[in-house]
Amino acid sequence: MTADTTRRQLLAGGAALGWFCINGSWLQSTPAQAQADGFAPQHLSVAQCSAMNVIADALVPGAHVAGIAAYIDSQLSAKNDSLLLVKYLGVPTTAQSGFYRPALDSCIRLLAADGMTPQLALTAMGEDAVSDWQGPPASFFSFVLRADALDVVYGTEQGFARLDIPYRAHITPKKPW
Amino acid sequence: MSNALSTDTVIVGAGAAGLLLAARLAESGRRVTVLEAGPKRSTDDLISSQIWARRLKWSGPQVEELGDHKVGHAFNAGFGTGGSALHHYGVWLRLHPGDFRVASDHGVGLDWPIDYQTLQPHYDKIQSEVGLSGDADAEIWRPEGAAYPMPPMPLFAQARILQKGFEKTGRRTAPLPLAINSQPYQGRAACQFDGWCDAGCPIGALANPLVTHLPRAQKAGVQFEHNALVSRVLRDPNKAARIRGVEYFQGGERHTITAKDVIIAAFTVQSARILLSSAADTTPAPGNRFDQLGRYLTSHPAATVFGLFDEPTYPHQGVSGGQLLSHDDYDNKQQGNGFGSSQWLIAHAIKPHDLLGYGTGRPDIVGNQLEPWLQDAAQHLANMTLVVEDIAAPNNRVTLSDATDTHGIALARTEHNLDARTARLWQQRIDEGQEIMRAARAREVWHGPRVAMHIMGGTVMGKDEQQSVTDSFGRVHDTDNLYVSGPSLFPSSGAVNPTFTLSAIASRQAEHLITQQ
Ligand SMILES: Cc1cc2nc3c(=O)[nH]c(=O)nc-3n(C[C@H](O)[C@H](O)[C@H](O)COP(=O)(O)OP(=O)(O)OC[C@H]3O[C@@H](n4cnc5c(N)ncnc54)[C@H](O)[C@@H]3O)c2cc1C
Ligand code: SF4
Repeated sequence: MTADTTRRQLLAGGAALGWFCINGSWLQSTPAQAQADGFAPQHLSVAQCSAMNVIADALVPGAHVAGIAAYIDSQLSAKNDSLLLVKYLGVPTTAQSGFYRPALDSCIRLLAADGMTPQLALTAMGEDAVSDWQGPPASFFSFVLRADALDVVYGTEQGFARLDIPYRAHITPKKPW
Repeated sequence: MSNALSTDTVIVGAGAAGLLLAARLAESGRRVTVLEAGPKRSTDDLISSQIWARRLKWSGPQVEELGDHKVGHAFNAGFGTGGSALHHYGVWLRLHPGDFRVASDHGVGLDWPIDYQTLQPHYDKIQSEVGLSGDADAEIWRPEGAAYPMPPMPLFAQARILQKGFEKTGRRTAPLPLAINSQPYQGRAACQFDGWCDAGCPIGALANPLVTHLPRAQKAGVQFEHNALVSRVLRDPNKAARIRGVEYFQGGERHTITAKDVIIAAFTVQSARILLSSAADTTPAPGNRFDQLGRYLTSHPAATVFGLFDEPTYPHQGVSGGQLLSHDDYDNKQQGNGFGSSQWLIAHAIKPHDLLGYGTGRPDIVGNQLEPWLQDAAQHLANMTLVVEDIAAPNNRVTLSDATDTHGIALARTEHNLDARTARLWQQRIDEGQEIMRAARAREVWHGPRVAMHIMGGTVMGKDEQQSVTDSFGRVHDTDNLYVSGPSLFPSSGAVNPTFTLSAIASRQAEHLITQQ
């Protein structure tokens, strides 16, 4: 599968999904399409979304195009209906912003360091070796963000198809999330 | 506050235990009202997606968790009609006779006030009521009981491969008994082996309460109040042993309902929270005259062992609960310097993502290596889960936090630490599990972290009020008419999944309450 086909498939994935603020208007869109259209995040800052895209893509290639930032941002706004996996890990919906935001600010600082690459950033996070890291432990945040990225890239009908797994839904999700 | 309602029996919680009791009691002619904290759910909500399935999990007041083996309430608890049983896997196993007398036989934990023989008729009755598939003869370790009403489920490639590993290491396996239809049963469809059980089975092949006891309860006229969060039980001001009813919050308003009998079936941690919150100034909480309420909280330490094979395993095929069972060594609880029973649930249908997915379990694989690895795993991975008995200890407990929910009710706090003997048994079995995988010719073997599976205890049953909260019928000792139902009653955890046993107990409770009227 070429990078272009993957991108096209990811952008096409799913019917109309959440509401995203794109170019000043609220439009119904897939997170992937919202990402491509440059959605305006409501919960996270643009810089936090950019850092998330870089780290998530280094963990799970395709996460940026699949709309990881739009996914997390929209779920943080969903309050009690949040579908984020971190809910299972003892981070209730009310505390989820406080989980992502400081960690993403730490990622912004980490990525800005001299000579830093996404791969080096992942290694430092995996070893909890980031000097001024704020928020949940870096290795735990990396685990959660990787799991979120797996959700958006492989947790959908399109994602299953990428792995040649028959989806065989009883009730097909109207939207991936 | 709204006007008080009145009924014969009020049941708190519309999960496995609550709906079974609701159906049986209403069918006997009682007026029954069920109060459920979560929303009304139907099979249409059971969307085949691990992401959407997260909506079914607990979304009520947070639980604070402490200890080296936290009970994982957010993962283990459900919310809304059906409770956590709505998306449970349908692995239905009986406790073994020895599980009922761990204190007498081994000087460990607590005995039950009843033995296996007391529950056996209820196990038998329930299994034909909800429908179980299995092969009783092949389960050489199975306690006495009627044969299963349906033949076992078929075995797929993953199970056949792992079975060889068990054989080569001198261990035995049998088809896993499941509350899933291997053939159409009582008007419900047969399983399609697509592995979506974790998101809930909307076709009714898996015996979740929406398709078993809910329709019976509705037919018998049970009243349901959803989004009704019960905060405490109310004592009769003139007779402390009598419980008048319960207080609950719905739509931002405080309500009360009075009843002749009150049954708390809100799953382990919330059941204890409701009782603990019911202490008054000078009166201890029901069941807590001897500071026993909340104690003996247990949770099975579990872990999944994975292997990658050269042959195709097609791990998406089958059901989430697994295909095979091994109970070798179950009855031999003294294991060197470890203690407890243990079991293997073998060959689960598994997905690439979500908390239990194989992709999530390998955080070391990232970047360009990931997709080829996932593609390989999607065809060649096998997995099996170890479940180990937990030892009931008084300091593992539910208490109330200083923090409160939006209604000003104290949050639950759990503390759960693993006994060193349990931790050693877990490690020993995990090492053996990896050996079994290698014997099955896996080319790569690893295991996931130790996790808390199922939550039990906290309102344990017993003969002695100084060491328990309820009698063997789940009646809270210092009350006439307050009952608890669910796995919180278990004095010992055994190493089997709890829903068959909690259903057998609920069946016995129902019979008791009906003969009392
Ligand atoms: C992923 C998963 C797989 C599982 N698989 C198996 C399996 O294969 N086999 C097995 O035996 N067990 C399994 N279990 C465990 C099983 O789901 C539980 O043991 C069982 O559902 C417990 O039944 P219950 O009636 O006590 O509680 P639940 O079924 O959880 O019902 C309790 C209900 O009470 C409600 N409630 C809570 N607090 C309040 C309140 N204050 N006021 C009003 N209502 C309240 C809840 O919202 C909930 O609906 C699994 C669990 C999970 C999470
Ligand atoms: S695999 Fe069987 S039990 Fe599981 S969801 Fe599908 S039909 Fe239901």
